[in-house]
Amino acid sequence: MAIAKAERLMNLALCLLGTRRPLSKRELRASIEAYVEAFGPEGSPGTDDSFNRMFERDKDDLRELGLVIETVESLDGEVGYLARRDSNRLPPITLDAEEAAALGLAAKVWQQARLAGAASGALQKLRAAGLPEDVDPYEAHSALEPRIPVHEAAFEPLMLACRDRRPVVFDYRKANAAQPEQRHVEPWALECWRGHWYLAGFDRDRGAERVFRLSRITGKVRSRGGKFTAPVPDVVTVRETVASWAGETADRTAVIRLRSGAGYPLRARATAVRELGDGWDELEIPYGHGLDAWLVEFGPDVIVREPAELRADVVDRLRAVARG
Amino acid sequence: MAGRPVRPTSAIDQTRRMLSLVTYLRERPGARIEDVARAFGISEDELVSDLDVLPMCGTSFRGGDLLDIDTDGERIWWHNPAALGADAAEPLRLAADEATALLVAARAVATLPGLRESDRQALLRATAKVEAAAGEAAGASSRLSVTFESEGGVFADVDRAISERRRLWIRYYSPARDEVTEREIDPIRLVSVGHTYVEAWCRRSEARRTFRLDRVAEIKILDEPSAPPEIELRDLSEALVQPAAEDPEVVVEVGPGGRWVAEYYPHDSAEELEDGGLRITLRTPDPASLRRLALRLGRDGRIVSPPELAESARRAAREALAAYEDEAAARAAGGAGTAAV
Repeated sequence: MAIAKAERLMNLALCLLGTRRPLSKRELRASIEAYVEAFGPEGSPGTDDSFNRMFERDKDDLRELGLVIETVESLDGEVGYLARRDSNRLPPITLDAEEAAALGLAAKVWQQARLAGAASGALQKLRAAGLPEDVDPYEAHSALEPRIPVHEAAFEPLMLACRDRRPVVFDYRKANAAQPEQRHVEPWALECWRGHWYLAGFDRDRGAERVFRLSRITGKVRSRGGKFTAPVPDVVTVRETVASWAGETADRTAVIRLRSGAGYPLRARATAVRELGDGWDELEIPYGHGLDAWLVEFGPDVIVREPAELRADVVDRLRAVARG
Repeated sequence: MAGRPVRPTSAIDQTRRMLSLVTYLRERPGARIEDVARAFGISEDELVSDLDVLPMCGTSFRGGDLLDIDTDGERIWWHNPAALGADAAEPLRLAADEATALLVAARAVATLPGLRESDRQALLRATAKVEAAAGEAAGASSRLSVTFESEGGVFADVDRAISERRRLWIRYYSPARDEVTEREIDPIRLVSVGHTYVEAWCRRSEARRTFRLDRVAEIKILDEPSAPPEIELRDLSEALVQPAAEDPEVVVEVGPGGRWVAEYYPHDSAEELEDGGLRITLRTPDPASLRRLALRLGRDGRIVSPPELAESARRAAREALAAYEDEAAARAAGGAGTAAV
């Protein structure tokens, strides 16, 4: 059976961390059992390319978990590698039991495999550095179980693209569009709000900032070469944009009649409520985008009085339903 | 610990864990398997599989020493800690992804309005220390953010009732029926998945129910002790609403403008239609609750089955239209303004 990848990576890491002088690829190949087993001793015919590919991938994997690996060229032109202690050592950090418990809770909230793994990895490194471990975070935090849901396949490639500032291209279907459309985007930041993930970035086709909902990305997210062409703002405001889609930036007022006892959420949002006495109340509520669709949900328990435009929209929608 | 997702360990995860383990074990000769597994947040089996790999590892380029680590099934012994130079076993700095994962989660948890103030302070202190220790690696963490929503006052009361094991009285809004009902509940736990929910034993329905905190209209902590029956906690990671196989089926056809239905409602299937719409099949214990959906969809979709549900939506729309016509007629008769219908 081939030697497990984790064993190979571990040996490569220990070699690079343990050495004080750069080690050449030749030395590493000869001293790590997994390479010897896979490719034979150096000079075995036709193995150099495949060894080189594996070695490059392994170095990338170690960098992914945080190892800073330096490449040094010696006087005679041979390239060597080492992971210096100075650049790899965690600076001193002291956390008390309460702080440790709080981090323990935070490390458990990710439901996305890559981030869950990275969060536990962070905690394990802190543990090795002496993070107190007596307190069970669940005991300390009573019955609270926060979870960050990540169901969208586009999440991981976009997270990496935001991290590395790489342009991407994906197919995106707008809420009301029949067909997806290809979008070229310089991704800035991802934000989760009310359980959904959004991407903010510079839309190259529109030449402007746009916010995308990840669940509307169809197919694969692909990376593009090259750099960002637009400056990245210091503060990216995803939530304000999404709130305006959701009609939460109401700028007008509507007057409706509501059957007594019905429509609790409308009452909760009302700025004024007046009993009419005949089984109906009159409410003033903020009027923004999407209010018509919401009011129709209450069927015959809501009658719009003003403005006329909202009343006409609601009646239109009711007619469509009545026709079935 | 309930509801923790189980996932396969990747080689990268295992490698980073073993690197930390080496540092950790070096300081703790004879550490107990049970304690180490708990400290590392892994199962004892996972730890044992790491202990199988470690003796194959070392700085062998010096022709030298593999790590002589073994276990008697209870304790872990490392017989040659000198095999790694003193500084080869120091704690490692955080990777960018590690710093991001931990910091984003910590900032998110700190947004929970119901979090106890002492816990929030501890979290903020810890976040600042981790940021400082991570250095440059913390930079990319600003590119990811999460906000939990929850109603502060309601949250605090539920949290207190859980820790004091007391029953709650709530007035709760049910959108399916558009009504507010009073119930007594024995709270079990709080769950934040986008919105914040309390899972509880409902004394009225004698069943397990999940209540969304922003739909709690009023709440009181009662003097009676909370006594939920022993129930198995479910993994709520996938969806809070978990329809049962025997629930009735509802079929909805939507046009392009109604595709959002598939994003908001857990469903069994969503078939693409030629006009860019979807045919969505879902199950619910109470199809009548979907009348709201049918009304909301308007021209963007319709209920295909059950027919009673489609008919109840049509009836509601006709009733509403009749009310508009009556009102318009009354206004015209009274000469009060112009009617819009």
